[in-house]
Order: sequence, then C-alpha cells, then structure tokens
Amino acid sequence: MKLVKKSYLAAMAVAVSAFGTGVAQAECGNVTISEMNWASAQAAARVDEFILKNGYGCNAETVPGDTVPTATSMTEKGRPDIAPELWMNTIKEQIDRAVSEDRLTIVGNTLEDPAKNAGEGWWIPRYMLEKNPELATIEGVKKNPQLFKDPEDPGKGRVVGCPSGWACQIITENLFRAFDMEEAGFNLVDPGSGAALGGAIKKAYNRGQGILAYYWAPTSLIAELDLVRVELAPYNAQEFESCIGVANCPDPKPNGFAVSEIKTVASTEFANNSPEAMGYLKARVWPADAFGKVLTYMETEQADGQAAAQWFLKNHEAVWSQWVPADVAAKVKAAL
Amino acid sequence: MVWSSDFPQIADSTLRAMSKGIDSSYLAFSRAYGASIEAFFEPLLYFLIWFERLLLGSPWWAVIAVIAAVGYAASHRITISIGIAIALSLIGLFGMWENTMQTMAMILVCTLLSILIGIPIGIFMSRSARAQKLITPVLDVMQTMPSFVYLIPVVMLLGIGRVPGVIAVVVYAIPPVIRLTNLGIRLVDKEALEAADAFGASRIQKLLRVQLPLALPNIMAGINQTIMMALAMVVIASMIGVRGLGQPVLQAVTNQYFALGLFNGIAVVVLAIIFDRVTQSFGLRLQKHREGARQ
Repeated sequence: MKLVKKSYLAAMAVAVSAFGTGVAQAECGNVTISEMNWASAQAAARVDEFILKNGYGCNAETVPGDTVPTATSMTEKGRPDIAPELWMNTIKEQIDRAVSEDRLTIVGNTLEDPAKNAGEGWWIPRYMLEKNPELATIEGVKKNPQLFKDPEDPGKGRVVGCPSGWACQIITENLFRAFDMEEAGFNLVDPGSGAALGGAIKKAYNRGQGILAYYWAPTSLIAELDLVRVELAPYNAQEFESCIGVANCPDPKPNGFAVSEIKTVASTEFANNSPEAMGYLKARVWPADAFGKVLTYMETEQADGQAAAQWFLKNHEAVWSQWVPADVAAKVKAAL
Repeated sequence: MVWSSDFPQIADSTLRAMSKGIDSSYLAFSRAYGASIEAFFEPLLYFLIWFERLLLGSPWWAVIAVIAAVGYAASHRITISIGIAIALSLIGLFGMWENTMQTMAMILVCTLLSILIGIPIGIFMSRSARAQKLITPVLDVMQTMPSFVYLIPVVMLLGIGRVPGVIAVVVYAIPPVIRLTNLGIRLVDKEALEAADAFGASRIQKLLRVQLPLALPNIMAGINQTIMMALAMVVIASMIGVRGLGQPVLQAVTNQYFALGLFNGIAVVVLAIIFDRVTQSFGLRLQKHREGARQ
C-alpha cells in the first residue's frame, strides 16, 4: 500500500511537471514561419526559426510560400503565424484591409532604413561614381551616354532595363520616356530574363566597364558588387499609380521608385498570445550590412537558408544578441 | 549514415568547394580573356548589325521583292514567290515587320555560320573513324544540354545581346548539318569513287567533284534542319536580350497575353515555312538532273 502510494505520488509529480512544461510552451506553442522562395527571405525565416525554437522554446517550423498566397493564408486562416520578410508594395491594399479587420499585425521593419537599403532603382557601379561624381543623379547620367556604351549601337548609351513580362518593365519603360533618355542618346535594352540581367551587371562590373541597369535590393548582387542607386526624381505616388505604373502611359512625368516597405508581419492571434516572441520580432531589425553579408555568403557558398542562418548565428553574435535578452541569447548560443 | 540505405555521396563541403572552385576559375578566366574574346567576336557583331539595318533600312516592298526573287531563283516556282510575298505582307500588316526582320537577320547569319563551320567539320568527320567517334558525343551534348546552362556563363563573358544569342543558336542548330554532311559523304557509292580513282582524280577533285555533289541531297536536308532548329531557339535567345520575334513571345508567355503570343508565334512559323520551302525546292532542283540521268 505504501509502495503504491509512493508511486502514485511519483506519477502525480510527473503529471504536474508535464503540465508545467505544457504551460511554459503554451506561451509560445506551435509557430509556423513563412519561408518565401528567394534567398534573403529564406535566411531571415531560418534565423527566426532557430531563435524562437531554441531561445524561446517555441515549436517553430518554416513553411514554403510566395507573397500573395502566404498573405492570403495568413489573413484567412491565421497560418503561417509569421512572415519575416513581406514585400508590401505589391499587396498593400490586401494587408491594409487585414490590419483594419484585426487579422494581421505589422510588427516592424525587416531591414534597417528601408529607404536607403531596400527597393528598386537604376544602379551604377561605385567606381563610376567615384570617377565622375556627376553621375549621382539622372541629370548627370544623361549628360554622359558615352560612359554607358551600347556595344550594339556605337555612339549611344544603354540602360539595361527590366526583363520582359515583369511588372517593373512597364515602370522602367515609362521612366525611360519620362526622363527623355532617348533624346539624351540612350537605348533601353531588354535583358530578357533575370539571370541575363544579373549576368550583364556582373560582366560589366568584373571588367570595370560602365553600366546603368535596373535592379533591386536587398540582393546578393547588390551586396556583393557595391553598386549605388542613381537619384531619380522624388517619388510621387499619385502620378506613379496613374501613369508610371500603366503600360503606354501617354505623357509620363519624371518620378522615382517607391520606397519598398519590407515588413515583418504576424497574425493578430499570434501577436496577442505570444508576447515574448513578439518582443523578439519587434527588436529583430536587420542591419543592412549584416543582411548583405548573409546574402553574399549564400551566393559564394551556394548555401541554402538553413546553412546561412547557422553561419550568421555562429559568426555574427554581436548582431543578433542585440535582438534578445541575455538569458535567451545564452540558450541560443548553447544550441548552436 | 547507413551506406546501404543512403547513397554514399561526396560530402556537401567537398561538393561546395568544387563548385566554388569552378565558379572562381571561370570568373578569373572571364576577367583575363573576356575583353579579347569580345574583340574577337566584334566583326560578327558589326556584320549582324549591318545586315539588320540593311533589312530594316530598305523600303519594305523592296525587301519583300528581293526575298521573293531569291525564293524564285532557288525554287524556279512562281507559286513559292507569291506565297512569300503574301506571307510577308501579312506579317507587316499585323505590325510585326521590325521584329520579323530582326529575327530573319539573326537566323540567316546563324545559318550561314553553321554552314561555314559545319560542312568542313562534317567532311573531316567523314574521312576519319576516330574523328567521328570523338565528335559524335560532342554533338549529342550540344543538342541536349539545356541552353541556359551555358548561356549564363556566355553572358558573363560577352554581356547580353546578339553575339551570345548567335552562339546559343549556332551551338544548338549546327549538329544536323554536321551529321548529315558526314552521313551523305559516307553513303556515296564505292563504285563512283573507284571510277574517280580510275580517272586519276586527286583527293580534292574526288571531294569536290564526286563526294560533295552526290552527298548534296543529304547536306541540303541538314541545312534545312539547321534552319528549323535555329528558328526554334528564337525565344531562348530573347531571354538573353536578343531582339526579334522572341521578345513579344516571351512577354506574352510571362503575362499570359494569349493573342500577342499567338500572332508572334505564327510569324515564327511563317518564317520557318518560307525557309523550309525555299531550301527544300532548291535541294530538289539540285537532284533533278541526276534523276534524269539515271532513268
């Protein structure tokens, strides 16, 4: 009898402790993190996964997805819980509506100072700018078509635009007309594919040649090659939507690219139930150079998001330890 | 790891080091020789641009008349010339004249290059069993390797535009003319060669007067196939910035513009039919005298 009682007590103790851990995990519980299908978003998702799992004891896992399906699923089903790198420009209306219906919560920026470090633009290599500071603005570029020689049309300059069929093709074409680039002696060249666009930029850069090309950040190409954005005109949202973004707009006016909003977004349910994890996500704003280093690592090592996250956590503790309290940092470090 | 259930593959780190090594040596190569390779291809680029400007700069009716006349000269059939004139006029009417001329210039230059390079290789191949053994697998690779695998390295070497486009098209389109030149020469009757020997013909005389004329039907079939394959590469070439009918097709595909894709696709088909009928009937005409002689 005594024996029985003892084991009964032991069983109770086990049950209680099990219940206890259950409570601890309920604060975080299952977390699904959206892993978008491009390099930077994959690394960001894997870093969040590792820290939430090992630092906060969440049962975190990543789910693959693309922008629109992920945002729709988050709005309608509350799953995945977190999108670490959501590009808002393409789906702004949908997100705004979901936020006003209290289904989604915008946690904060994914990347520090997005106006400077993120978004589309027309880029030139920094060595060109250093040689000729005039090239910082589009007006200066227009005076120097000979620096951006078009090999297929000698005597003219070349703007390597956005590949056929991409949304940015319309914008690039209209901007090209808005700035009267043709009169200034430039051709707009369609690279045909993203791979060819990247290849053309790399080729020019590796040879120290002149190039003016459409591209976007954060990408490994921009991080690796040290390109700078040419200053276009200030962004005018109304004009942009009514004309620059519309195919064959009759009279485009000078404009710029919109500042890309890249946000960490969470489902409101998750935001309300997991205050600690939310604290982390709020603090987790990537410094541009750290993000660039991760992307460069992925490119040069041909690493996937998982490997890049491991590399970042191991080698850049100074960056990520700012995002979490000391005890969590210790747990993450122990798990590495 | 259990060796029987998991394939004992090379360690990830070794594979990564290998691909890094290949990438960085290619980068070093393109930095060291890129400029001179580019200079080597410059005459080709000028020729391409000159030819395209010639087609686009001349009045449209003159271009149609010249192409129809070439068609007649090759086939001696007036129906073919009329067909060419109607088809090209329709293309112009649907607003695809410029793109079609760009594609036509590209295809003609690629075909010319393929013939200039391919026929000598085919002749060489037909003369030596070892050469045939060595070249055949290379031709297999050229026909089956997915184009983008070698296109992006070419872009990193030469940039985007017509020259890498020509390289891509020629690599894909040259095998038929090589294969069929080789085959045609090998199929020439032994008796014919023995007769030539009996007349004391030299090697060159045998090649030019006996082997090549008798192999001509096969060679023409090879050239015809080369042209068709070059046209099939138009869309791929547009993915590295080659202007022409491929670009609107690409745009249509990525945006799901059905009609735009259809129009430009049909223009490619029309070009293909023109080239095909002209070369086919030229080939037939070349054989006519022989048929007469045999009967």
